[in-house]
Amino acid sequence: MTGRSTADSLRETIYYFQRLKAGGLSGIIGLLSLGSLVCLPYSLFAQKELTLCEVEVKGVRPERFMTGQKIRDVDSTDLARNRFSTLADFLQFQTPVAFKSYGAGQLATISFRGTSAGHTALLWNGVNINFPSLGQTDFSTIPLTGFDEMTIQYGSAASCVGTDAVGGSIQLRSLPDFKTEGLQLIAALRAETSENFSGQGGLRFHHPLAGSRKLSGKTLLYGSSIRNNFGTEPITRKGKTLPVEPVHTRQAGAVQDLYYMNPKGDLLSLNLWFSDNDLAVQPDVIMLREITRTRAYRGSLSYQWGKTLLRTAYIRDITDYGKGENLNPSHTQVDRYILRAEHDLSWIHDCNKGTNLKLGAETVYFNALVDGYGKARKTETRLDLYALLRHQFSARLSTSLNLRQALVSGYNPPFTPSVGLEYTLVKNNRNRILLPVSLARSYRVPTLNERYWEVLGNPDIQPETGFNKEAGLVWQHKFSEITQTRAGLTVFHNLIDNWTYWNPEKNYRVENLQQVLSKGLELETSVQSRIEKTRLTVQAQYTLTHASQQKEYGAYTQDIIGKQLVYVPRHAVSSTFSATRKALSVDIQQQFNSRRYVTFDHSGQPYMPFYLMNLRLGYEKRVHKRILNTALQVNNVTDVLYPNQKKNAMPMRSVALSILIGNF
Amino acid sequence: MKRTLIVFCAFLYSCNPDDNTQPEQPYGKGVIVVNEGNFTDNNGTLSFLPTGSPALSYDIFLKENTRSLTGGVSGYGEVNGKGIILVDNSGAGQDKIEIVDAGTFKSEATIPSAEIENPREVVKVSNTKAYVTAWDATGNWPDTYINPGYIAVLDLTTNKLTKKIPVQHGAQSIVVSGNEAFVGNIYSGRTVISVVDITTDAVKQTIEAGANPQVIGVDANNKLWVYAGGALKKINPSSKAIESTVKLNPASAGQSPGKFVLSHDKKTLYFTLSAYDENWNEVGQVYSTSVDATTINATTPLIRKVFYGMAADPETGNLYGGLAPSFKQAGYVFRYQPNGTLIDSIKAEIAPAKFFFRR
Repeated sequence: MTGRSTADSLRETIYYFQRLKAGGLSGIIGLLSLGSLVCLPYSLFAQKELTLCEVEVKGVRPERFMTGQKIRDVDSTDLARNRFSTLADFLQFQTPVAFKSYGAGQLATISFRGTSAGHTALLWNGVNINFPSLGQTDFSTIPLTGFDEMTIQYGSAASCVGTDAVGGSIQLRSLPDFKTEGLQLIAALRAETSENFSGQGGLRFHHPLAGSRKLSGKTLLYGSSIRNNFGTEPITRKGKTLPVEPVHTRQAGAVQDLYYMNPKGDLLSLNLWFSDNDLAVQPDVIMLREITRTRAYRGSLSYQWGKTLLRTAYIRDITDYGKGENLNPSHTQVDRYILRAEHDLSWIHDCNKGTNLKLGAETVYFNALVDGYGKARKTETRLDLYALLRHQFSARLSTSLNLRQALVSGYNPPFTPSVGLEYTLVKNNRNRILLPVSLARSYRVPTLNERYWEVLGNPDIQPETGFNKEAGLVWQHKFSEITQTRAGLTVFHNLIDNWTYWNPEKNYRVENLQQVLSKGLELETSVQSRIEKTRLTVQAQYTLTHASQQKEYGAYTQDIIGKQLVYVPRHAVSSTFSATRKALSVDIQQQFNSRRYVTFDHSGQPYMPFYLMNLRLGYEKRVHKRILNTALQVNNVTDVLYPNQKKNAMPMRSVALSILIGNF
Repeated sequence: MKRTLIVFCAFLYSCNPDDNTQPEQPYGKGVIVVNEGNFTDNNGTLSFLPTGSPALSYDIFLKENTRSLTGGVSGYGEVNGKGIILVDNSGAGQDKIEIVDAGTFKSEATIPSAEIENPREVVKVSNTKAYVTAWDATGNWPDTYINPGYIAVLDLTTNKLTKKIPVQHGAQSIVVSGNEAFVGNIYSGRTVISVVDITTDAVKQTIEAGANPQVIGVDANNKLWVYAGGALKKINPSSKAIESTVKLNPASAGQSPGKFVLSHDKKTLYFTLSAYDENWNEVGQVYSTSVDATTINATTPLIRKVFYGMAADPETGNLYGGLAPSFKQAGYVFRYQPNGTLIDSIKAEIAPAKFFFRR
């Protein structure tokens, strides 16, 4: 690791705080044809088609107000199948998002529709859990076992509290299970040839109490040791050579959920999630060792009281970064205290006509103790006000109008309204064709680092603002009772102004320099069918993204204007295939990324296109209520050599065996 | 951008008797541009600019070896027809020294990461030997320089490191004069110059020079120029005595000097003065002064630009400036006549920091 001069050291420091703070046509055609050949999905892309009568009962989920926006729900079955995956592993095969990975088991940040890592809001039970000093999340530290349901929302009209939702947002939810009574136990182990080991154990219970009261809960402990050992010598494939970086990542975590429901259906929820991620680069040579340890303590207590939600939450994020013997790590600790109240109102005419209104407010108090901010503790209060209105004119037409205003001590981000419309063009027994349209303003409150970092930070930095427009066409078709397909096309145009940039021309001072336009189209298809006793599910998506700098801000910016941003692939294709017959199952995950540029002017060597394939064979035996599930998974089946951000080799082919026992 | 550069060492290779360029070899007379690359992108490169042509060849190591250097490039030197490339990866334990045939740029040997950490500069000390200054492993900023620096002695007959000579923390700049190498350091706060006997490969004495001494070169009057403790000093290489301190009066208060380069005849010192304006733009100029001056009054700039790296062509005296608009796009090489008249500018690669002139 190089320290270098002061500027370089600062650069390095910024990098580490930023981190805690970029084809082949035949490949695309191949992947797409795979999707359409086996042709079919099921509710994979299904938006919740609840009638107004059904949603009337309690508070309406914020996603219901995002009319006209593309939403993808991932249910608990999907999450359970991928229980040993991190959010980064999972999303890259399921969605058109791109990831910037610094190596397996190392920092992985998201790029949603060509935007940067801070432009995706990650919400856990409605609370933004992006690391506040960096305004982003390391997706390699979020295991899929930490929550029960996920919604991926494309575009800007994100959620109640709107910061960071510029490119999209990802909602993670913990949910009670009031269906299965009794105690369910689960234990799972996984071993991979690259010296990666994981284990999970936990329980879930549902205990009906007297007088229709219910008690439910979940306890889960998980841990892993990830070496990704592919030797120490550089790896060569097809004339390309990349070095290998020795790494050891240890992850541990615990989830505790408790739910109590009274006879009226009011729900008290306690959700606790602790995670500890300890990354060591060069773990075996103390002098060279580099340690990044991140710990997160997340707690949320909510009470859904009729149509009123009251929530209090606390989040503590800690990062320690050190080198060598790590005697004096640089320390970052940010505490957040959150209070939220919202109330739903509804005027329902009939099941197809009516209005929902959600009014809410959230306040967050930040308390940051960060070495880079000097000795002083930085505190800040933010208040978010939101009004989400949805009006359904008929079974065919629904619209929404969402208003958000954030108030931050010191200055205020812009007012961000969004409007959406969804029109059902065709609806009959076999076909349904939808036309969704959405216009949304978005913003990102500058991160704490951007404002408070000594010398390089800028207290006067402005929030980023975006204006996203998108429209789509969705066709759902039922070939038969057992075969259904869905195909969707979305075009988007997202202009983001005041894009912040740690400007190397100014010794890495942060500035609102850039204006970025990200536009593109997304195609997706899914098919769900049954051939004799084999259930088949296929989904595939293709994304064309062009994200580029629009505005000149320096003498040499003419070299970069209009050119695809770094690390954003122009073409991305991913697909999953799944077949299940009795106890046996086969899963195939594929991903293709076209070339990614490393420099803004496209000079030098870009990262070449790469194709990845994972294969899993599963066997599940059920006896009474007991379950035994084993799976053999081959990762990177074709043994493709491709680089991470630091130009080291990503994991090559490996084989993993997993076993799960339980009684559910 | 405030990267300290010692490009003077380039002059020391200029009289290599074995540099008789083979006409059939792809890389003959010209300039090797050391493009440092961007930190963590590990994309440093070398480009080649042949004499008499503005047609620059990009990433010549990749071109000739079908593999990248996989790191930043911190230095380039030549000994006896061999090119020595210092590769400084952002990850610890991934640095290396690549040894190539200087005419073909084909790899001949690699000194692995286990033997070198944070190599900074390379200098020829004989027809079979080069010295490489190195920091060793670094610690947490601001305690970056936790380990003593060293000089790795590279034997070009065997392509092996034969010895590591411990020197002060943050060892970086190095100048050879006679049978001695003078070693300075950056930002560790150390105040001595280590004097190494190049026949015994041992430190024979140290010179108390002031904080973070940067050795610049030996001028036409046989004085070793050093910038230490915020002042320019002239040292007698024989007696090791600091004979004089040259007062530098910047054009305006708040400007910092840097990028010291001696001219081809070693009678002129080039340097930059720069400061950050109220909008944090680095604003600066290149100045020149006679080495005989006892006081330098920077009044009339030679060139109204600041550079990431600067060097003087030992043959023509032309001044080369490497400009890095950002570390995420290609930089430019600006060439000037010794009087500051612009000759041309050529697009290079990421952060052109150093230049090596070949005859």
